[in-house]
Amino acid sequence: MTERFDMSVEFAGLTLANPVFTASGTCGYADELADFMDVDALGGFITKSITLKPRKGNPTPRIVETDAGMLNAIGLANVGLERFVAEKLPVIAHMKSAVFVNVAGTTIEEYVAVVERLADEKALAGFELNISCPNVKRGGISFGTDPTQVEEITRAVKKACGSKVLIVKLAPAVTDISVTARAAVAGGADALSLINTFTAMVIDIETRRPVLANRTGGLSGPAIKPVAVYLVNKVYREVAREAGIPLLGLGGIRTAADAIEFLIAGATAVAVGTASFVEPDCAVQIVAGLRDYCDRKKINRLAELTGSLDRPV
Amino acid sequence: MTQERASRKKGSHTATVLSNVQAGECFWKLRLRFDGEAAKAFAGFTPGQFVQFDVSDLAIPSTDSIPTALLDGARRSVLLRRPFSFSDVTADGDTTTADLLYCIVGPASLRMTTLREGDTTHLIGPLGNGFAVPEGKRTALLVVGGMGLPPIRCLAKSLSVEHPDITAVAFIGSRTVNALPLEERPARFDEGLSLSVPTFATLGIASMVATDDGSAGHRGPVTKCLSHWLQENADRPREETVVYACGPERMLAAVARIANETDIDCQVSMERRMACGIGLCQSCAVECRVAGSDEIIYKLCCQDGPVFDAREVFFGADDA
Repeated sequence: MTERFDMSVEFAGLTLANPVFTASGTCGYADELADFMDVDALGGFITKSITLKPRKGNPTPRIVETDAGMLNAIGLANVGLERFVAEKLPVIAHMKSAVFVNVAGTTIEEYVAVVERLADEKALAGFELNISCPNVKRGGISFGTDPTQVEEITRAVKKACGSKVLIVKLAPAVTDISVTARAAVAGGADALSLINTFTAMVIDIETRRPVLANRTGGLSGPAIKPVAVYLVNKVYREVAREAGIPLLGLGGIRTAADAIEFLIAGATAVAVGTASFVEPDCAVQIVAGLRDYCDRKKINRLAELTGSLDRPV
Repeated sequence: MTQERASRKKGSHTATVLSNVQAGECFWKLRLRFDGEAAKAFAGFTPGQFVQFDVSDLAIPSTDSIPTALLDGARRSVLLRRPFSFSDVTADGDTTTADLLYCIVGPASLRMTTLREGDTTHLIGPLGNGFAVPEGKRTALLVVGGMGLPPIRCLAKSLSVEHPDITAVAFIGSRTVNALPLEERPARFDEGLSLSVPTFATLGIASMVATDDGSAGHRGPVTKCLSHWLQENADRPREETVVYACGPERMLAAVARIANETDIDCQVSMERRMACGIGLCQSCAVECRVAGSDEIIYKLCCQDGPVFDAREVFFGADDA
C-alpha cells in the first residue's frame, strides 16, 4: 500500500519508514511481541541490552508500580553476546525495521568487544550505547554522568562500529544534560537517545523497607514524560540542531499525541517503552495515530514536525 | 501449525461480563464470555495459565463500598495490568465462558468490583505454561494455599472431565476459615478427608481443609495433611502419583520438599510481580536450578512458568 503521507524520517543516514521505535528493555528481542503486532510496521527496533557475558540480573521484587509510572531494577538481565548471536540474531535478521542492539557493560573493553563482534552483522542498523542504566553497581550510569567518560567510551565504541550507526543514550539525572550530550557528539555519536529512567525509591510502610530488592530502581512511564520533553527540547536547541545530530526521544510515550510532543520538541524519532508492557501493540497504534494527525493537520511530510516548537503554525 | 492451533495463540482480547458477584467477605466471582477468535483462544486454556487484565480505566466504587483498610489507597492510579488465573473455563460452540475468583487487596481489584453485566473487559492471554498431566498417573494430589485455589479448581475440573481414570484428592489450607476463597461453604468442615468442600465435591473429588488457627478442619499447615495422606497411602505406586500445588511460596517449598523426599512428581504454580506477562519486562524472575549442576539461574514466571517442575525451583538458602 502506498502511504498517503510521507511518514519516513532520515535518522543518522538511515531512511526509516516512520519515526516510531520500541525502547530497549521493553520489547525483548522482537519474537515476544510477534503475537501482538507486526514488528515490521515499526520504524526502528532496539533490543534489550546485551552484555559480553550473560547476566542473571537483580533479585526480586524487580518492579513496583507508582501512581503514574513504575520502577524497575532488572539489572540488565540478558542472554549474553554468544546466545544473542546464536538464538536472537536469526529472528532479528528477518525484520524489516531498522534494528539497533543496545549494548551495556562494566568496562569500556566490554562495550567494545560486543560491538566489534556485531559490527559486520547485516541484520543490524546500528547500536545504542547504554551508559545510563541506574540499576547496575558498576558501569551503566557511572559512565553516563561524567562527560569525560561519555566522550571516551563513545569514541572507543564508535571506532569499533564500522559503518553502523551509534546512538548514545543519555542519563537524565545530571546537572546539565547538554554537557553530556556535547561529550557524546565530540566522541563521534551519530545520534542521541534521551531519556533513560530516573533513579527512584518506593518504601513499604509496613516493613519500613524499600520495596525493590535492589533498594532503588529506574522510574519510567507517564510520570517522566514532561521532563523528557523538556530535556529533548533543551538538547535539541543547545546541541543537536547545530551539530546536525538526530534525537530519539523517549520517556512516558503512550499515545500519538505524546509522540508528536517529542517531535515538535526536537526529536527526529521516538521510542515507546513502559506503555508496551500495558499494550503490547502500543507502538503500531502510535504509527496509526501519527497518520491521523497528518491527515487532520494537512501535513504531507511528518519529518517537518521535528523542532517545530517555535515555528508559527 | 494447524488453523486450530494458530487461532489459539495468545493475544489481546475483549470479554463481556456475564456477572460479577461478591462470594465472601473479600472475594468476588467474575464470569466472562468470550466470542469469536477470543472464544477459540480461550477454549484451549490450560489450567495454570493466566491472563493480564487492564483495570486502569475502571471506576472506583462508592466510598461506602470500599473496605476500611483500603480507603487510604483506593484512589491510587493503576497503570499496569494485573495477572489472574481462571477457576473455570467452559467452551460451548462459538462462545467460551470463564470464571475468575478474585480477592480485593488493592486499588486494582477494588476497581474490578464495579464491573457489571454487559460491560466489556480487555485482557491479554492465555499466557504462560499451565499444569501438565504426565502419562501413567493414577493419583493427583491437589494442594491449595488460600488464593491458590482458582487454578487448582480449574485443574480439578479438567482432571475430572478429561482424565476420569485419575483419582484426585484436594488439600486446602488457609490462615483462617474466612480467608478461604470458597464460594460455597459446607455446614461443617470435617477433620478428615471427605467430600465436604462443595467446590471439589461436585467434581467427585474428596477434600480436606486445614487452617492455621483451627477455625475449620484440621489445625495446622496443610502440608501436614499431605504428609499424613502419603503415609497412610504408602502402598500406592509413587511413579503413578503427581502433586500439584498453588499458594504461598513457603507452602510451595514445603510441598516440594515432601514430594522430593517421597520421590513423587510435583508441579508448583509460582507467583511474582509482573509488568507485562509476556516476557518483555523480565521482572518476574524465579530462581531455578540447572539440571546436573549447582548453578542457579533466573527463569521468567510469565514465560517459563508460572507452573514449574518443583525439582527445578530453588526456594531459598535452606532449600534442600
